[in-house]
Amino acid sequence: MEISPTIFIIPTGIGCEIGGFAGDALPTAKLLASASGCLITHPNVMNGGNLAEKDKNIFYVEGYCLDRLAKGEIALKSVKEQKIGIIFDSGIENEILVRHLQVADACVSTLGINVHSYVTTKKPLSIVIDSDSSKMSGGIIKNPDTLIDAGKCLIEDGVTAIAIVAKFPDDSDSLETNFYREGKGVDPISGVEAVISHLISKFLKVPCAHAPALNPIELNENLDPRAAAEEIGYTFLPSVLIGLSNAPDIVELPNKHELISLHPDQIESIVVPNGALGGEAVLASIEKGLNIISVKNQNKLKVTNEFYDYPNVIEVNNYLEAAGIILAFRKGINLNSIKRPLKKIQKCSYCD
Amino acid sequence: MKLSSLDYYLDWPVSIQIKNLRGFIIANLEKKGDLIRWSIVEIQNSIDSFGTKKLRIKAVLANEIRI
Repeated sequence: MEISPTIFIIPTGIGCEIGGFAGDALPTAKLLASASGCLITHPNVMNGGNLAEKDKNIFYVEGYCLDRLAKGEIALKSVKEQKIGIIFDSGIENEILVRHLQVADACVSTLGINVHSYVTTKKPLSIVIDSDSSKMSGGIIKNPDTLIDAGKCLIEDGVTAIAIVAKFPDDSDSLETNFYREGKGVDPISGVEAVISHLISKFLKVPCAHAPALNPIELNENLDPRAAAEEIGYTFLPSVLIGLSNAPDIVELPNKHELISLHPDQIESIVVPNGALGGEAVLASIEKGLNIISVKNQNKLKVTNEFYDYPNVIEVNNYLEAAGIILAFRKGINLNSIKRPLKKIQKCSYCD
Repeated sequence: MKLSSLDYYLDWPVSIQIKNLRGFIIANLEKKGDLIRWSIVEIQNSIDSFGTKKLRIKAVLANEIRI
Protein backbone atom coordinates (compact mmCIF):
# COMPACT_ATOMS: atom_id res chain seq x y z
CA MET A 1 0.00 0.00 0.00
CA GLU A 2 1.22 3.49 -0.82
CA ILE A 3 2.54 5.62 2.02
CA SER A 4 2.64 9.38 2.43
CA PRO A 5 5.80 10.08 4.46
CA THR A 6 5.08 12.90 6.88
CA ILE A 7 7.22 14.82 9.33
CA PHE A 8 5.49 15.58 12.62
CA ILE A 9 7.00 18.32 14.76
CA ILE A 10 5.96 19.77 18.08
CA PRO A 11 8.76 22.21 18.91
CA THR A 12 10.29 21.74 22.32
CA GLY A 13 9.70 24.35 24.99
CA ILE A 14 7.06 26.61 23.46
CA GLY A 15 4.22 25.48 25.71
CA CYS A 16 2.09 23.57 23.20
CA GLU A 17 -1.29 22.56 24.56
CA ILE A 18 -0.80 19.15 22.95
CA GLY A 19 2.76 17.82 23.11
CA GLY A 20 4.19 20.44 25.44
CA PHE A 21 4.26 18.07 28.38
CA ALA A 22 5.36 14.49 29.02
CA GLY A 23 4.87 12.54 25.81
CA ASP A 24 1.30 13.79 25.60
CA ALA A 25 1.46 13.91 21.80
CA LEU A 26 2.23 10.21 21.53
CA PRO A 27 -1.40 9.21 20.81
CA THR A 28 -1.48 11.91 18.13
CA ALA A 29 1.72 10.53 16.61
CA LYS A 30 0.19 7.07 16.47
CA LEU A 31 -2.88 8.47 14.71
CA LEU A 32 -0.82 10.39 12.14
CA ALA A 33 1.43 7.37 11.62
CA SER A 34 -1.58 5.23 10.92
CA ALA A 35 -2.91 7.77 8.43
CA SER A 36 0.41 8.34 6.63
CA GLY A 37 1.92 4.86 6.85
CA CYS A 38 5.24 6.58 7.62
CA LEU A 39 5.73 9.26 10.23
CA ILE A 40 9.04 10.84 11.16
CA THR A 41 8.99 12.51 14.54
CA HIS A 42 11.28 13.47 17.38
CA PRO A 43 11.82 12.42 21.01
CA ASN A 44 9.86 15.37 22.45
CA VAL A 45 6.75 13.87 20.85
CA MET A 46 7.41 10.26 21.79
CA ASN A 47 9.03 10.34 25.25
CA GLY A 48 6.67 10.13 28.19
CA GLY A 49 9.12 9.69 31.04
CA ASN A 50 8.59 6.05 31.90
CA LEU A 51 5.93 5.58 29.25
CA ALA A 52 6.64 5.01 25.58
CA GLU A 53 5.58 2.84 22.67
CA LYS A 54 7.14 1.54 19.52
CA ASP A 55 5.25 1.82 16.26
CA LYS A 56 6.44 0.21 13.03
CA ASN A 57 5.23 3.25 11.10
CA ILE A 58 7.20 5.79 13.15
CA PHE A 59 10.81 6.82 12.68
CA TYR A 60 12.24 8.20 15.96
CA VAL A 61 14.70 10.92 14.92
CA GLU A 62 16.36 13.54 17.13
CA GLY A 63 15.43 17.14 16.27
CA TYR A 64 18.74 18.26 14.75
CA CYS A 65 18.73 15.25 12.42
CA LEU A 66 15.06 15.79 11.66
CA ASP A 67 15.94 19.27 10.41
CA ARG A 68 18.76 17.77 8.33
CA LEU A 69 16.33 15.24 6.87
CA ALA A 70 13.95 18.06 5.92
CA LYS A 71 16.87 19.89 4.28
CA GLY A 72 17.72 16.78 2.24
CA GLU A 73 21.15 16.27 3.82
CA ILE A 74 20.51 12.82 5.29
CA ALA A 75 18.37 9.73 4.71
CA LEU A 76 17.17 7.11 7.20
CA LYS A 77 17.96 3.43 7.34
CA SER A 78 15.77 1.08 9.38
CA VAL A 79 17.55 -1.24 11.79
CA LYS A 80 16.36 -4.15 13.90
CA GLU A 81 18.15 -2.88 16.95
CA GLN A 82 20.58 -0.24 18.07
CA LYS A 83 23.47 -0.91 20.43
CA ILE A 84 22.84 1.83 22.97
CA GLY A 85 25.38 3.58 25.16
CA ILE A 86 24.51 6.02 27.92
CA ILE A 87 26.36 9.21 28.82
CA PHE A 88 25.87 10.20 32.44
CA ASP A 89 26.66 13.73 33.55
CA SER A 90 29.28 13.52 36.31
CA GLY A 91 27.21 16.10 38.19
CA ILE A 92 24.64 13.37 39.00
CA GLU A 93 24.62 12.22 42.62
CA ASN A 94 25.54 8.57 43.19
CA GLU A 95 22.09 7.47 44.40
CA ILE A 96 20.40 8.91 41.30
CA LEU A 97 23.08 7.38 39.08
CA VAL A 98 22.41 3.94 40.60
CA ARG A 99 18.67 4.39 39.99
CA HIS A 100 19.39 5.09 36.30
CA LEU A 101 21.73 2.11 35.97
CA GLN A 102 19.03 -0.13 37.43
CA VAL A 103 16.53 1.27 34.91
CA ALA A 104 18.97 0.45 32.09
CA ASP A 105 19.33 -3.09 33.45
CA ALA A 106 15.53 -3.37 33.61
CA CYS A 107 15.24 -2.35 29.96
CA VAL A 108 17.67 -5.13 29.06
CA SER A 109 16.04 -7.78 31.23
CA THR A 110 12.36 -6.94 30.67
CA LEU A 111 12.21 -5.32 27.23
CA GLY A 112 15.13 -7.03 25.53
CA ILE A 113 16.77 -3.73 24.57
CA ASN A 114 20.48 -3.77 23.76
CA VAL A 115 21.94 -1.33 26.27
CA HIS A 116 25.63 -2.00 25.85
CA SER A 117 27.62 0.31 28.10
CA TYR A 118 27.80 3.68 29.80
CA VAL A 119 30.30 6.41 30.47
CA THR A 120 30.45 9.30 32.91
CA THR A 121 31.57 12.70 31.65
CA LYS A 122 35.01 13.86 32.81
CA LYS A 123 33.54 17.20 33.90
CA PRO A 124 29.97 18.11 34.92
CA LEU A 125 27.95 19.38 31.94
CA SER A 126 26.90 22.38 34.08
CA ILE A 127 23.43 23.26 32.83
CA VAL A 128 22.46 26.92 32.64
CA ILE A 129 18.72 27.44 32.18
CA ASP A 130 17.81 30.69 30.48
CA SER A 131 15.29 32.08 32.92
CA ASP A 132 14.81 35.17 30.78
CA SER A 133 13.07 33.22 28.03
CA SER A 134 9.61 34.69 27.89
CA LYS A 135 8.40 32.52 25.00
CA MET A 136 10.75 29.60 24.57
CA SER A 137 12.46 27.41 27.08
CA GLY A 138 16.19 27.97 26.57
CA GLY A 139 19.68 27.62 27.96
CA ILE A 140 23.10 26.10 27.39
CA ILE A 141 25.65 23.78 28.94
CA LYS A 142 28.98 25.19 30.09
CA ASN A 143 31.07 22.16 29.14
CA PRO A 144 30.01 20.90 25.70
CA ASP A 145 33.42 19.35 24.93
CA THR A 146 33.14 16.91 27.82
CA LEU A 147 29.80 15.71 26.39
CA ILE A 148 31.29 15.15 22.93
CA ASP A 149 34.33 13.36 24.37
CA ALA A 150 32.07 10.99 26.32
CA GLY A 151 30.08 10.26 23.17
CA LYS A 152 33.26 9.54 21.19
CA CYS A 153 34.34 7.11 23.90
CA LEU A 154 31.07 5.17 23.55
CA ILE A 155 31.28 5.08 19.75
CA GLU A 156 34.83 3.76 19.93
CA ASP A 157 33.40 1.06 22.20
CA GLY A 158 31.01 0.00 19.42
CA VAL A 159 27.87 1.84 20.42
CA THR A 160 25.50 2.88 17.60
CA ALA A 161 23.03 5.11 19.50
CA ILE A 162 23.47 7.36 22.52
CA ALA A 163 21.21 8.22 25.44
CA ILE A 164 22.30 11.19 27.51
CA VAL A 165 21.33 11.78 31.12
CA ALA A 166 22.19 15.25 32.40
CA LYS A 167 21.89 16.62 35.92
CA PHE A 168 19.45 19.51 36.08
CA PRO A 169 19.36 22.08 38.87
CA ASP A 170 16.97 21.19 41.66
CA ASP A 171 14.22 23.74 41.09
CA SER A 172 11.24 21.59 42.03
CA ASP A 173 9.77 24.44 44.06
CA SER A 174 10.18 27.04 41.32
CA LEU A 175 7.18 28.83 39.92
CA GLU A 176 7.95 27.61 36.37
CA THR A 177 8.16 23.96 37.44
CA ASN A 178 4.90 24.10 39.37
CA PHE A 179 3.16 25.91 36.51
CA TYR A 180 4.36 23.21 34.13
CA ARG A 181 3.27 20.36 36.42
CA GLU A 182 -0.16 21.94 36.70
CA GLY A 183 -0.45 22.25 32.92
CA LYS A 184 -0.16 26.03 32.78
CA GLY A 185 3.34 26.76 31.58
CA VAL A 186 6.31 25.97 29.39
CA ASP A 187 8.54 23.01 30.27
CA PRO A 188 11.44 24.99 31.77
CA ILE A 189 14.20 22.48 30.98
CA SER A 190 13.29 21.26 27.52
CA GLY A 191 15.24 23.96 25.68
CA VAL A 192 18.53 22.84 27.22
CA GLU A 193 17.59 19.20 26.63
CA ALA A 194 17.33 20.00 22.92
CA VAL A 195 20.74 21.68 22.94
CA ILE A 196 22.34 18.61 24.55
CA SER A 197 20.93 16.15 22.03
CA HIS A 198 21.59 18.53 19.10
CA LEU A 199 25.29 18.60 20.07
CA ILE A 200 25.54 14.80 19.90
CA SER A 201 23.62 14.70 16.60
CA LYS A 202 25.72 17.47 15.05
CA PHE A 203 29.15 16.26 16.06
CA LEU A 204 28.74 12.47 16.29
CA LYS A 205 25.95 11.79 13.76
CA VAL A 206 24.31 8.91 15.61
CA PRO A 207 20.73 8.50 16.87
CA CYS A 208 20.41 10.06 20.30
CA ALA A 209 17.97 11.37 22.88
CA HIS A 210 18.12 12.97 26.30
CA ALA A 211 16.58 12.30 29.70
CA PRO A 212 17.02 14.72 32.60
CA ALA A 213 18.20 13.53 36.03
CA LEU A 214 16.15 15.26 38.67
CA ASN A 215 15.80 14.77 42.38
CA PRO A 216 12.50 13.20 43.49
CA ILE A 217 9.88 15.91 43.88
CA GLU A 218 7.03 16.57 46.28
CA LEU A 219 3.59 15.19 45.54
CA ASN A 220 1.41 17.72 43.73
CA GLU A 221 -2.29 16.98 44.00
CA ASN A 222 -3.07 19.51 41.25
CA LEU A 223 -0.95 17.65 38.73
CA ASP A 224 -2.13 17.95 35.13
CA PRO A 225 -2.68 14.53 33.47
CA ARG A 226 -0.46 15.62 30.58
CA ALA A 227 2.53 15.91 32.91
CA ALA A 228 1.72 12.74 34.86
CA ALA A 229 4.04 10.39 32.94
CA GLU A 230 6.99 12.12 34.59
CA GLU A 231 5.71 11.27 38.07
CA ILE A 232 6.21 7.51 37.65
CA GLY A 233 9.41 6.25 39.21
CA TYR A 234 12.78 7.91 39.66
CA THR A 235 14.00 8.47 36.11
CA PHE A 236 12.78 9.43 32.63
CA LEU A 237 15.21 7.03 30.97
CA PRO A 238 12.87 4.18 29.87
CA SER A 239 11.16 6.16 27.10
CA VAL A 240 14.53 7.27 25.74
CA LEU A 241 15.88 3.71 25.65
CA ILE A 242 12.67 2.38 24.09
CA GLY A 243 12.75 5.10 21.43
CA LEU A 244 16.42 4.57 20.62
CA SER A 245 16.20 0.77 20.66
CA ASN A 246 15.31 0.69 16.96
CA ALA A 247 15.73 4.32 15.91
CA PRO A 248 16.88 4.50 12.29
CA ASP A 249 20.52 4.96 11.33
CA ILE A 250 21.52 8.32 9.91
CA VAL A 251 22.81 8.06 6.33
CA GLU A 252 24.75 11.04 5.01
CA LEU A 253 23.81 12.01 1.46
CA PRO A 254 24.82 11.51 -1.25
CA ASN A 255 25.37 7.81 -0.55
CA LYS A 256 25.39 4.91 -2.99
CA HIS A 257 26.45 2.19 -0.58
CA GLU A 258 23.88 2.14 2.23
CA LEU A 259 20.44 0.62 1.87
CA ILE A 260 18.12 3.59 2.43
CA SER A 261 14.67 3.10 3.99
CA LEU A 262 13.50 6.70 3.66
CA HIS A 263 15.00 9.25 1.29
CA PRO A 264 14.13 12.92 1.98
CA ASP A 265 12.69 13.24 -1.54
CA GLN A 266 9.89 10.85 -0.49
CA ILE A 267 8.57 13.23 2.18
CA GLU A 268 5.26 14.80 1.20
CA SER A 269 4.06 16.79 4.21
CA ILE A 270 5.03 18.32 7.50
CA VAL A 271 2.63 18.74 10.41
CA VAL A 272 3.36 21.60 12.82
CA PRO A 273 1.46 23.66 15.39
CA ASN A 274 -0.07 26.84 14.03
CA GLY A 275 2.17 29.73 15.10
CA ALA A 276 5.31 27.60 15.04
CA LEU A 277 6.28 28.00 11.39
CA GLY A 278 9.68 29.55 12.20
CA GLY A 279 11.74 26.38 12.51
CA GLU A 280 14.34 25.17 10.06
CA ALA A 281 12.39 22.05 9.02
CA VAL A 282 9.37 24.15 8.07
CA LEU A 283 11.45 26.64 6.07
CA ALA A 284 13.27 23.77 4.33
CA SER A 285 9.90 22.18 3.50
CA ILE A 286 8.76 25.46 1.96
CA GLU A 287 11.88 25.46 -0.25
CA LYS A 288 10.82 22.05 -1.56
CA GLY A 289 7.18 23.01 -2.07
CA LEU A 290 5.89 20.44 0.44
CA ASN A 291 2.48 20.53 2.08
CA ILE A 292 2.48 22.20 5.47
CA ILE A 293 -0.37 21.14 7.70
CA SER A 294 -0.67 23.83 10.33
CA VAL A 295 -2.73 22.60 13.28
CA LYS A 296 -4.41 24.69 15.96
CA ASN A 297 -2.40 23.75 19.04
CA GLN A 298 -2.16 26.71 21.38
CA ASN A 299 1.41 27.79 22.13
CA LYS A 300 3.52 30.85 22.88
CA LEU A 301 4.49 31.69 19.28
CA LYS A 302 2.68 33.58 16.55
CA VAL A 303 4.80 32.84 13.50
CA THR A 304 1.97 32.06 11.09
CA ASN A 305 1.51 31.87 7.33
CA GLU A 306 0.17 35.43 7.43
CA PHE A 307 3.83 36.51 7.15
CA TYR A 308 4.87 33.97 4.49
CA ASP A 309 1.85 33.72 2.21
CA TYR A 310 3.03 30.25 1.19
CA PRO A 311 0.31 28.62 -0.95
CA ASN A 312 0.72 25.02 0.26
CA VAL A 313 -0.25 25.64 3.88
CA ILE A 314 -3.38 23.83 5.00
CA GLU A 315 -4.74 25.17 8.27
CA VAL A 316 -6.80 22.72 10.32
CA ASN A 317 -8.54 22.84 13.67
CA ASN A 318 -7.13 19.70 15.24
CA TYR A 319 -5.00 16.61 14.67
CA LEU A 320 -8.02 14.49 13.78
CA GLU A 321 -8.55 16.76 10.79
CA ALA A 322 -4.82 16.62 10.00
CA ALA A 323 -5.01 12.82 9.94
CA GLY A 324 -7.84 13.01 7.39
CA ILE A 325 -5.83 15.34 5.15
CA ILE A 326 -2.81 13.03 5.28
CA LEU A 327 -4.97 10.02 4.50
CA ALA A 328 -6.40 11.87 1.49
CA PHE A 329 -2.83 12.59 0.28
CA ARG A 330 -1.93 8.96 0.79
CA LYS A 331 -4.89 7.74 -1.23
CA GLY A 332 -4.54 10.41 -3.92
CA ILE A 333 -7.91 12.00 -3.20
CA ASN A 334 -8.32 15.65 -4.22
CA LEU A 335 -9.07 17.62 -1.04
CA ASN A 336 -11.43 19.89 -3.02
CA SER A 337 -13.61 16.88 -3.88
CA ILE A 338 -14.53 16.57 -0.22
CA LYS A 339 -15.30 20.27 0.38
CA ARG A 340 -18.44 22.20 -0.53
CA PRO A 341 -19.24 24.22 -2.51
CA LEU A 342 -17.48 22.36 -5.31
CA LYS A 343 -16.21 24.59 -8.15
CA LYS A 344 -16.52 23.61 -11.81
CA ILE A 345 -13.28 22.77 -13.58
CA GLN A 346 -11.67 25.76 -15.30
CA LYS A 347 -11.13 26.28 -19.00
CA CYS A 348 -7.46 26.58 -19.86
CA SER A 349 -6.44 29.33 -22.33
CA TYR A 350 -3.56 29.10 -24.80
CA CYS A 351 -0.64 31.35 -23.91
CA ASP A 352 -0.15 32.74 -27.46
CA MET B 1 34.05 25.02 22.52
CA LYS B 2 31.80 27.55 24.22
CA LEU B 3 28.04 27.82 23.80
CA SER B 4 26.09 31.06 23.90
CA SER B 5 22.44 32.04 23.59
CA LEU B 6 21.54 34.71 21.07
CA ASP B 7 18.42 36.85 20.79
CA TYR B 8 18.81 38.28 17.30
CA TYR B 9 16.79 40.74 15.24
CA LEU B 10 17.06 40.67 11.46
CA ASP B 11 15.34 42.72 8.78
CA TRP B 12 13.73 40.56 6.09
CA PRO B 13 13.65 42.63 2.88
CA VAL B 14 10.96 42.08 0.24
CA SER B 15 13.67 41.05 -2.24
CA ILE B 16 14.27 37.82 -0.27
CA GLN B 17 11.58 35.32 -1.26
CA ILE B 18 10.22 32.91 1.31
CA LYS B 19 12.00 29.98 -0.36
CA ASN B 20 15.31 31.77 0.21
CA LEU B 21 14.58 32.90 3.76
CA ARG B 22 16.31 29.99 5.51
CA GLY B 23 19.54 30.56 3.60
CA PHE B 24 19.34 34.31 4.27
CA ILE B 25 18.97 33.73 8.02
CA ILE B 26 21.75 31.16 8.16
CA ALA B 27 24.14 33.40 6.23
CA ASN B 28 23.60 36.08 8.87
CA LEU B 29 23.67 33.81 11.93
CA GLU B 30 26.77 31.89 10.86
CA LYS B 31 28.80 35.08 11.09
CA LYS B 32 28.32 34.80 14.83
CA GLY B 33 29.17 31.13 15.33
CA ASP B 34 28.42 27.51 14.55
CA LEU B 35 24.66 26.93 14.71
CA ILE B 36 23.39 24.39 17.24
CA ARG B 37 19.73 25.46 17.43
CA TRP B 38 17.72 28.34 16.00
CA SER B 39 14.19 29.38 15.22
CA ILE B 40 12.19 32.45 14.27
CA VAL B 41 10.14 33.28 17.35
CA GLU B 42 8.46 36.48 16.22
CA ILE B 43 7.77 38.39 12.99
CA GLN B 44 6.77 42.02 12.78
CA ASN B 45 4.97 43.05 9.60
CA SER B 46 6.06 45.90 7.29
CA ILE B 47 8.26 48.05 9.45
CA ASP B 48 8.84 50.52 6.57
CA SER B 49 7.27 51.63 3.26
CA PHE B 50 9.27 48.95 1.37
CA GLY B 51 7.41 46.13 3.16
CA THR B 52 10.44 44.98 5.14
CA LYS B 53 9.58 42.57 7.93
CA LYS B 54 11.51 42.27 11.18
CA LEU B 55 12.43 38.80 12.39
CA ARG B 56 13.26 37.89 15.96
CA ILE B 57 15.39 34.75 16.09
CA LYS B 58 16.52 32.76 19.11
CA ALA B 59 19.65 30.72 18.61
CA VAL B 60 22.30 28.74 20.43
CA LEU B 61 25.76 29.06 18.91
CA ALA B 62 29.06 27.30 19.43
CA ASN B 63 32.38 29.07 19.20
CA GLU B 64 35.92 27.80 19.61
CA ILE B 65 37.67 29.06 22.71
CA ARG B 66 40.79 30.99 21.72
CA ILE B 67 43.59 30.78 24.27
